[in-house]
Amino acid sequence: MNTQATPVLAVSDLRLALPKGADRAFALDGLNLIVRPGEIVCMVGESGSGKSLSAGAIMRLLPEPHVHVAGGTITFEGEDILSKSEKEMRDVRGNRISMIFQEPMTALNPQKTVGWQLDEVLKLHMAGSRKIRHARAIEMLERVHIPDPESAYNAYPHQISGGQRQRVMIAMALALSPRLLIADEPTTALDVTTQLQILKLIRELQQTDGAGVLFITHDFGVVAEIADHVIVLRQGEVVEQGPADQVLNRPEHPYTKALIASVPDLTPPTLKPVIAAPIVLKGTGLRKTFAARGGLLSGKRKEVVAVKDLSFELSQGETLGVVGESGSGKTTVSRLVTRLLDADCGSVELGGTDLLACTPRELRAMRKDIQMVFQDPMASLNPRKRVVDIIAQGPIVHGEDPDKAHDRARELLEMVELSPAAANRFPHEFSGGQRQRIGIARALAMEPKVIVADEPVSALDVSVQAQVLKLLADLRSRMNLSLLFVTHDLRVAAQLCDRIMVMQKGEVVESGFTAEVFANPQHAYTQNLLSSIPGRDWTPPVRTTDAA
Amino acid sequence: MTVIDSDLRPQEPPRYVMFWRRYRRNRAALLGLVLFAVVIAMALTAGLVDPGDPLRRAGVPLTAPFVDPANPFGTDQLGRSVMSQLFYGARISLLIGVVATLISILIGIIVGAFAGYFGGWVDDILMRITEAFQTIPSFVLLLTLVAILGSKIEWITFAIGIVSWTAPARMVRAEFMSLRNREFVDAARNLGVSNSSLIFREILPNALPPIIVYASVIMALAILLESALAFLGLGDPNYASWGNMIGQGRAVLRTAWYCSAIPGIAIILTVLSFSLLGEGLNDAMNPRQKQ
Repeated sequence: MNTQATPVLAVSDLRLALPKGADRAFALDGLNLIVRPGEIVCMVGESGSGKSLSAGAIMRLLPEPHVHVAGGTITFEGEDILSKSEKEMRDVRGNRISMIFQEPMTALNPQKTVGWQLDEVLKLHMAGSRKIRHARAIEMLERVHIPDPESAYNAYPHQISGGQRQRVMIAMALALSPRLLIADEPTTALDVTTQLQILKLIRELQQTDGAGVLFITHDFGVVAEIADHVIVLRQGEVVEQGPADQVLNRPEHPYTKALIASVPDLTPPTLKPVIAAPIVLKGTGLRKTFAARGGLLSGKRKEVVAVKDLSFELSQGETLGVVGESGSGKTTVSRLVTRLLDADCGSVELGGTDLLACTPRELRAMRKDIQMVFQDPMASLNPRKRVVDIIAQGPIVHGEDPDKAHDRARELLEMVELSPAAANRFPHEFSGGQRQRIGIARALAMEPKVIVADEPVSALDVSVQAQVLKLLADLRSRMNLSLLFVTHDLRVAAQLCDRIMVMQKGEVVESGFTAEVFANPQHAYTQNLLSSIPGRDWTPPVRTTDAA
Repeated sequence: MTVIDSDLRPQEPPRYVMFWRRYRRNRAALLGLVLFAVVIAMALTAGLVDPGDPLRRAGVPLTAPFVDPANPFGTDQLGRSVMSQLFYGARISLLIGVVATLISILIGIIVGAFAGYFGGWVDDILMRITEAFQTIPSFVLLLTLVAILGSKIEWITFAIGIVSWTAPARMVRAEFMSLRNREFVDAARNLGVSNSSLIFREILPNALPPIIVYASVIMALAILLESALAFLGLGDPNYASWGNMIGQGRAVLRTAWYCSAIPGIAIILTVLSFSLLGEGLNDAMNPRQKQ
């Protein structure tokens, strides 16, 4: 790293004012940072720490006048960004500074094909015929490792997976070899293998072009993987900054220490003595295909097999992890076993009865025994219902006396470590982690035989994630729960699962005890997954501070 | 330094307080509320203002306003008091507005909810029916219905409801289509909740705010439709209604303009009040939309 080079980006004493009535006066208070060519600066912080807004300020894409720059300077390649006109900024954006956004879902125009949008970027800043641009677009799609680039070129954003959408975004950002790349949580929605590829890709760009990268993330694993320099933000204030090695291995601020301590350990739980527990959930020969439609005149897309001949067994008191990349069919599995989606064929035996052969009436009764914790804590609770009604709803539907059900709901709130005062509130008054606890309480209220958890912690901050995982582990051992735990995060799987099942493209490629699979992966894909875990070579130094 | 997640945020004020605070921010909406209150007050006090039949002869025909203290707004060509007709007319306008709106919203919700929730062929059939209604100009359909059913006030109200359900149906359908795939709906389904409960208890409350806002538009339209019918002489002659007054005042427009103008102003202000009310409701119920 060349410390003498002129910085690509220099931010000094930046303050961003929030509108009156916000929870604090400044979204960012006194941010200083320097990004040199060929350097990757990581900005780390939990949600609400102001990291995304700082990216917005550099791109001059703040939601003005609600949030505006109240002081400080931003210098990009010697030019003052804040004094540029909107027209000058348009030339800078996309061409010299480009940005990868957090939400792959909303960052692409749903009305246009992927190819059209890539072409648009190229058309704006590159000379050449349609044919050349097409070739370049396909090349970019290949560079970000999209399988079948021609098909993706003709697809609309909703027809490709979230991971693929993010790759398209990255392809768009990298297409013009910018001087500064701002990456706002670019790999948060991706799986480990993709994430590693993307991180490598970003490194590659930075090495070939000498571009500076400002990388915003909440994941210390990613930081360990990619950062040269680290800035830790907390509620708009920089609590610690320094070279990556120093911050990661010798953190000084207690907040940094707490954050690092919350990163789940990669050591799987020790092997439990095998007790012959009865099997509560058994899937046999499950299969599900989705038919994808292309546009009228654009190229065709193939039918997608989401789950191909899946069989598994889950014993009483056991946690089975379903691990895989996006598009591996793991979420489809969670919907098939709960019959929120109908399988094409196969059977799901729950306590000896085939769930898939039930009539609608029988099915409603059977649902009592298999409950689900959902991924998105924002969307999974009805915003118009009070928490107590949400939790008590299930038992009431199954004939429980409403008063008893409400009392039980209050007990459950306590069990998930929420104050009973929460009962009469509406979901929007809670944080993400609290909502997930409510979701867990709702599942527990039915006293199910099996709980299916679909990525229950992936939307949460790392410190909150640690607490929710701990809660799940506690409840599991106290209530002898059987869990089918769907996750993309191998660190999380290592924490909680007795056995794991690794899925790839709708098929199980390997399954076995977590400790064995982690120690000695047999299948090439599993090996790849394990070696892609971000920061796997970095062992967090402080394990003494208890984050929860 | 630990980040404890179990602590609750401070309690928010109750929903109606938040609602009122957001509503209050819009001055025009407050004006709408005041006008609406005036119309309601008129409807309620009609019996006090004139205990008798508003259609009886109350004075010399075609008295100008502010001449005869017994008839402050004057009289029409049959000697009926303009003011008492105006007050009783408020009853009819509100009644027609509310009932017709309820009918149209009810049909709209049922059609839209089923089409949006089930999709597939249910959606196809229901939407083709909706489109069939939409292709006929609503006033022409209204005239046809009234011609068939007769000019009784009940039938007029019913007919107005029938011609205005298509827009709410489409709105409800759109809301349902976006809400039915949300995780909270899956969560409820997973609890064993039946389809009808999913539709009416889970999804509908979340789909309601834009519908309620739109209801104010329908109410204004319903009042205008009734007035237009009465203007053409198709209103119910047994009730004093603003449209009837304008329709009859048309004959003496050049000599006694006030016979049409006063009820005309009443209609304008009432429709305006609904429109402003709708805007205020929109601000209060969809607070994120305006930022």
